Amino acid sequence: MSAILGNAMVITAALPLLLGIVLALLSRFAVAASSPVLTLLWAALLLFFYCDTLGPPVMPPVAASQKLIYLAFAGIFIGLLPERILAGRTASALAVVALATAFLWLGWRRIAGGSLDMPMIAALAVALLALIGAAMLTAQPSSPSLSAEEPFLAPAAALSLSLSGAIVSVLGASIVTGQLLGSLAALTGGWCLVQYLATLRGGAASAWSKGVEFLLLFAAATVLIQIALLAPKANPLALILSSLPPLAAVLMRGRLQGLLPGARSLRPLIAGLLIALPAMLAIVTAIVWAPHGAALGFS
Amino acid sequence: MRTKKLIAALAFAGASMLASAAYADNYEIDGQHAWVTFTIKHGIYSIAHGQFDAVKGAIVMDKADVTKSSVKAELDVGSIHTAFDQRDSDLKGPDFFNAAEFPAISFESTKVEKVDDKTGKVTGNLTISGVSKEITLDVKLLNEAPAPWDATLTKAAFSATGKVSAADFPMAKAADGFGLGPEVDIAIDLEAIKK
Repeated sequence: MSAILGNAMVITAALPLLLGIVLALLSRFAVAASSPVLTLLWAALLLFFYCDTLGPPVMPPVAASQKLIYLAFAGIFIGLLPERILAGRTASALAVVALATAFLWLGWRRIAGGSLDMPMIAALAVALLALIGAAMLTAQPSSPSLSAEEPFLAPAAALSLSLSGAIVSVLGASIVTGQLLGSLAALTGGWCLVQYLATLRGGAASAWSKGVEFLLLFAAATVLIQIALLAPKANPLALILSSLPPLAAVLMRGRLQGLLPGARSLRPLIAGLLIALPAMLAIVTAIVWAPHGAALGFS
Repeated sequence: MRTKKLIAALAFAGASMLASAAYADNYEIDGQHAWVTFTIKHGIYSIAHGQFDAVKGAIVMDKADVTKSSVKAELDVGSIHTAFDQRDSDLKGPDFFNAAEFPAISFESTKVEKVDDKTGKVTGNLTISGVSKEITLDVKLLNEAPAPWDATLTKAAFSATGKVSAADFPMAKAADGFGLGPEVDIAIDLEAIKK
């Protein structure tokens, strides 16, 4: 058992995928998707994967990698605020302040260094785009009459950002953050899989609560910002492209229903693919311009 | 009478301090002749070797009272060298030495003990990636003499060895069963120029 759990692929991909499926099944059969209990379960799993890849929290945190888990705690704290607070302008303001603070806290040593080199410019762009995307996406109100694709917009954004961020990170010789984002992608992927199967069977997919939306987007964005700040081998263009899915999700809202009114079960898939487009470009960019080809750097 | 005794005591203390100060020589580490090397287990196979090419620092050596000696040194993480460029750049990355956030490794002694005339133990704080851990180096004074080509240039040569665990520092991939270490053996050979 311990050998299975010790396998990086199991802990990074298979286990979070399975747990994402379990969370989705819970939302369909046991707990309302908007329930704080489900938000707490997401938070607990998030912390488990943070601890597994980054180690337990260190007090005081010195390195940026040690600060990530505290940022996750902050995201969880905000995510557990009442739904009425996590809507509209308040949610936007919280996302802007939280991500800007995270950028400054993670990167203050780099910023204090004063060099505005290409990785620093990329880090600034990533932080800004992730901040705008997260702020706009979380600000959108939960619609009472959801279109088929709407419950998938935020999960698709988090999944695309995490997956491309993971690959860009690993190709940029930052394995740990790659593993962490891989876990987040698999967790979200498990959720999306079950919800899409429900849509295919004619049911309605459960949407993330605003709290879950916030904590997962915030977690994925902060890890991506850390990669941009501290992994100089990570491709800067790929990092910038990786930060775009939340913005793509904002643009997607309400567009497909008018364009493809008859294809109800196809719309989540099309929306997901369009949201993932910048992420796919990011992966291709990272592979084509990887500093040592598509092979892992460590030798 | 008491005043005279106090003056005498102060004079004695002052003279002692002056005497010890006179014995404390200041040296600057000669970066061109400094080899800070390390070895770490590479998976189930060999022992990997590496070195930091850029070393600077200062040594105060008090021959009369070795315990008053001190060492302060700094290594440039960007100068890490393992005879393979790709590995060097990976080691500078966030999973290992994290050079973008912490460009230097530092050592500052807190205690120097004499073992015999030529050997001693130097304990101090080694700071890697912002985290300080106390380590003890076994140090040997190899020689101290004027340079044969320049009598005005006096150098001292030291050799030191020690051990650290990468798990003590925020170096995720040298501590999580990735196949490296986590024990790291340090070997230092350096010359220092008397100021």
